[in-house]
Amino acid sequence: MTPSRKWGGFSPALLAKQVLLVAGILAAWEWGVRSGVMAAYIYGQPSGIYAKARGLIASGELLTHTWVTAQEAVAGFLIGSTLGSLCGLLLWLSPGFAAVVRPVMIAINGVPKIALAPLIIVWFGIGMEAKIAIAAILTFIVSLIATFAGTREVDQDLIRLMRSLGASRFQTWRKVVAPATLPWIVSALRLNVGFALIGAVVGEYISAKEGLGYLVYFSGTLYDLNAVWTGIFALMALALVLDRCVTFIEQKARWA
Amino acid sequence: MKDVVLRAEGLSLSFPGVLAFRAISFALHRREVLAIVGPSGCGKSSLFNVIAGLQAPSEGRVEVLGQPVAGATGHVGYMLQKDLLLPWRSVLDNVLLGLEIRGVKRAEAEARARALIEAYGLKGFEAAKPGTLSGGMRQRVAFMRTLAPDPEVVLLDEPFSALDFQTKLLLQREVQSIIRERAKSAILVTHDIGEAIVMADRVLVLSRRPGTIKSTHVIALPDAVRDPVEARRTPEFQAHFDAIWSDLDQPVEAAPR
Repeated sequence: MTPSRKWGGFSPALLAKQVLLVAGILAAWEWGVRSGVMAAYIYGQPSGIYAKARGLIASGELLTHTWVTAQEAVAGFLIGSTLGSLCGLLLWLSPGFAAVVRPVMIAINGVPKIALAPLIIVWFGIGMEAKIAIAAILTFIVSLIATFAGTREVDQDLIRLMRSLGASRFQTWRKVVAPATLPWIVSALRLNVGFALIGAVVGEYISAKEGLGYLVYFSGTLYDLNAVWTGIFALMALALVLDRCVTFIEQKARWA
Repeated sequence: MKDVVLRAEGLSLSFPGVLAFRAISFALHRREVLAIVGPSGCGKSSLFNVIAGLQAPSEGRVEVLGQPVAGATGHVGYMLQKDLLLPWRSVLDNVLLGLEIRGVKRAEAEARARALIEAYGLKGFEAAKPGTLSGGMRQRVAFMRTLAPDPEVVLLDEPFSALDFQTKLLLQREVQSIIRERAKSAILVTHDIGEAIVMADRVLVLSRRPGTIKSTHVIALPDAVRDPVEARRTPEFQAHFDAIWSDLDQPVEAAPR
């Protein structure tokens, strides 16, 4: 089975429904706060979020925070996904080594990576490098495991065919295993958009002076929920943009 | 005496707890097509893996042109029921696969592949991706890929069994004539007795596991009819069919109690 993610094309009717859904939720929320059913200091308020967002945009703060988080997430994503995919592919070349590191992989995958954060801070400091490192570790593991699993799904008859043609293990890897694993690598990239953002934001929660994670966390400590929501919405927007980038890569990387 | 291209001597293969086949010996001559039929689970495919060098035999040896090939690969062409075309490669690049592996220069390899594609009716499809081709065409591309490195012996492991009847008959005829034309030899594993008779010069019947050669049938169809469709109409075809059928063990599931 090849993972495929087709969300269908663009349709104005669908877009209208999506806008309607979001508008409905926001309207209900606003009404809930104004009528006194919901407390603004606990839930925030759409009109307040709008005002807050306008202020943060006008001062340039929101853009700065978003830019910082985007840089951290993208750098971590690129480093982690590239190295992870490469290592996952290379593991196929040595089943013996793969068997040795398998339990380690499972253990690292099982650990909540946030638990590694203190180590990262000690090693990389509290600057951008630390956030990039956390994002890179998260995405590395996802890519490594997905890619390695993909290499094991390659049709064994194809491998036998390559052997019957006299191919070396490396030739089989380069001509069959690596290209056949491409769909798994790409589907891991999509997951990694989310993981890279988690890495960057968690890093900012722990210690930072800028970034959307910092904005959300710091505003939370001040009970400024409208600012918290502004940060969350900015993160969502960032996630959507990054997801579009991956979709673009996905289309470029299609082989069939 | 005709020259022997491949010789199998006393081949046996056992896996822990299972004897797949034992004491299999035969010689394959140039331009000859040898069919192996047997009930399912008689070790036909394991025998193929041993001949192709993908699996070392427990006993016995395989020689190609007098050279032992145990443990080596690349001396035979190998074609399975699945076409195993690489979906990201064009028809031309799929045919080139074996030549690339051997390190044949791109220009020379491409000339050989193009000649094959042209000679056997796939001209115009060089740049097509396998996903856009019919099952019969895909299997034809797989056959071109098998022939491109110019192997002395081609192993055909039920290569037509996934095709519709009409395509199957056409490909049987085509593959058979290509093998003769290019002075190659082939071993065909099949469970289709009709296919074995129309394609092969000799048919070996294997027994139930552990598979061993139960009988050999030299196929004598009237010289004029080497066409798989025509051949099926001759009384000789029917006689061979009956003889092979009666030699064939029932599959285990259908054995009388």
